[in-house]
Amino acid sequence: MLAKNLWTRWVLLAVALVMVGFYLFPVYWMYITALKTNTETFQNPPTFWPHDPQFRFAEVWVKYGLDSYIKNSAIIAAGTVALVVILGTGCAYALARVRSVWMDLVLFTVLMMQVLPSSLMITPIFVAYNQVGMMDWPRTGVVLAQAAKVLPLYIVLVRAAFTQIPKELEEAALVDGNSRMGAFLFIAVPLARNGIMVTAILIFMQSLGEYVYARSLITDRALQPATVGLQFLTGPNASDWSGIMTYSAIYVTPILILFVALQRKIVSGLTSGALK
Amino acid sequence: MLRFDRVFRDGGGFDTLLVMLALGYLVVFSAFPLIYNVVMSFQEVDLFSLASFDRPFVGWDNYSEVMGERVFTPIFWNTVQFVGLSVFFQLTIGFGLALFFQQDFPGATWLRGLFLAGWILPGLVVGAVWGWILAGDFGVLNYVLQSLGLIEGKIFWLSDPSVSLYSGIIANIWLGIPFNMILLSVGLAAIPADVYEAAELDGASRLHRFLTITLPLMRAQLGAVISLGVIFTLQQFDLFAALTRGGPSNASNVLQYWAWQLSFEEYRIGQGSVVSVLMILFVVIVAFVYVRSTRNEHAG
Repeated sequence: MLAKNLWTRWVLLAVALVMVGFYLFPVYWMYITALKTNTETFQNPPTFWPHDPQFRFAEVWVKYGLDSYIKNSAIIAAGTVALVVILGTGCAYALARVRSVWMDLVLFTVLMMQVLPSSLMITPIFVAYNQVGMMDWPRTGVVLAQAAKVLPLYIVLVRAAFTQIPKELEEAALVDGNSRMGAFLFIAVPLARNGIMVTAILIFMQSLGEYVYARSLITDRALQPATVGLQFLTGPNASDWSGIMTYSAIYVTPILILFVALQRKIVSGLTSGALK
Repeated sequence: MLRFDRVFRDGGGFDTLLVMLALGYLVVFSAFPLIYNVVMSFQEVDLFSLASFDRPFVGWDNYSEVMGERVFTPIFWNTVQFVGLSVFFQLTIGFGLALFFQQDFPGATWLRGLFLAGWILPGLVVGAVWGWILAGDFGVLNYVLQSLGLIEGKIFWLSDPSVSLYSGIIANIWLGIPFNMILLSVGLAAIPADVYEAAELDGASRLHRFLTITLPLMRAQLGAVISLGVIFTLQQFDLFAALTRGGPSNASNVLQYWAWQLSFEEYRIGQGSVVSVLMILFVVIVAFVYVRSTRNEHAG
């Protein structure tokens, strides 16, 4: 591209800001509605800035029992990440290091597993869980199913992180008398830790929003995550919009903060693995 | 024996072990359900025979029953519309944004990354927020459209059968734009700048450069993004759960949501499996084409 003068660069920046603002309007609207009083929420014409901001977070937290919902979301997401990291890291490493027809086949299988929609896989999983008595541990059941759903993505992204590490470092460790296991755990994994961390956080955030499995497998309210709790409130007949938006805001604010803090790393991690 | 030993020490065995750990898990929790789904689509499965291991096989009965449903055809066309419109607008808007943010100005990369905030939000929350924006009486979209003079009366996006499908499509386009944009940005960044410079020296206009350089060089990337768009759109479930639940009277229902309703609301699990099998078959074919094309591109 030709060098642009300063003026055009600033105009482009202004246009970009408008576009970002326009796109993120729904997020803005969520927060603004959360701050409005109930009367102001249903005011016509709607106000784009709250006249009398209310912090109803504590009230909504208690009213809709968010402590149990959020706790369950966190348990499901943490369990999923733990399982996926344990199962997937080694596989990603092997796929990055070994080049053979077999490994290509494995990678192909993994990529294909990535696309199976949860809403269609849940029927057989539900029936099988019923048959083996897994329905007595519904949260564990959700973790197991969700781990299978996100494991392929984890493998693909972490594999990309491992391919960027020079092989020579591990070879040196092997010459020094390390076992393969030692070279993997103490050389390769620490070097790839950035990629592993970012991918794990990505999986964590995705699993925080898991809905289909939790909705279908968990019937006990005390074990349900925040998505299921939110779904009960929404729909064509929803009324307490200010409460729903407060609920949503409480739920997604930690996710958004984490995202903005790690934005650059998430974007580069996603793009490095997604198309390879 | 000597050879076996060597293989293990030199690494083949170790790598195989690591791969088998993950692959074994996927076989149990992904491949097995996949096959079990096919089996169930030929069985009579309801609430009572759910936990039984001895269920009657009914041949193609479930299939003919599902195809014979009065709602099957409308739901099928809803799905086609949902996928077609979602993918088209995600792609064109995403491509436009990718081209814009490809230009050189302060903060371009960082601002582009902010779009992914939409992608990272739980689908249920996105559905809830859009449900509020699209609400008939007090929704902000109706207010804006009326103020601009684009519509006369209020549109009941969620409860009017003639438009309720569009509420899901609008929210899904919003959700899919960032992913399309980021992936296409990667492709655009890979086009060497000197190609453009040479064309510019030859006097090619901006539009001409786009049509003769950008589009042809982005062909593989666009193909990949379209296949991924189709796959992700067919996975979309949460938005329907939050927005319309397929209603009113299936006006906004799509196959992936209907499959779930058959199994979990009507307990016609055998028939739910039929819809799942057909959908998964389609998704797998699209994925196959996608994976094949990116592999080839990588090798070439």
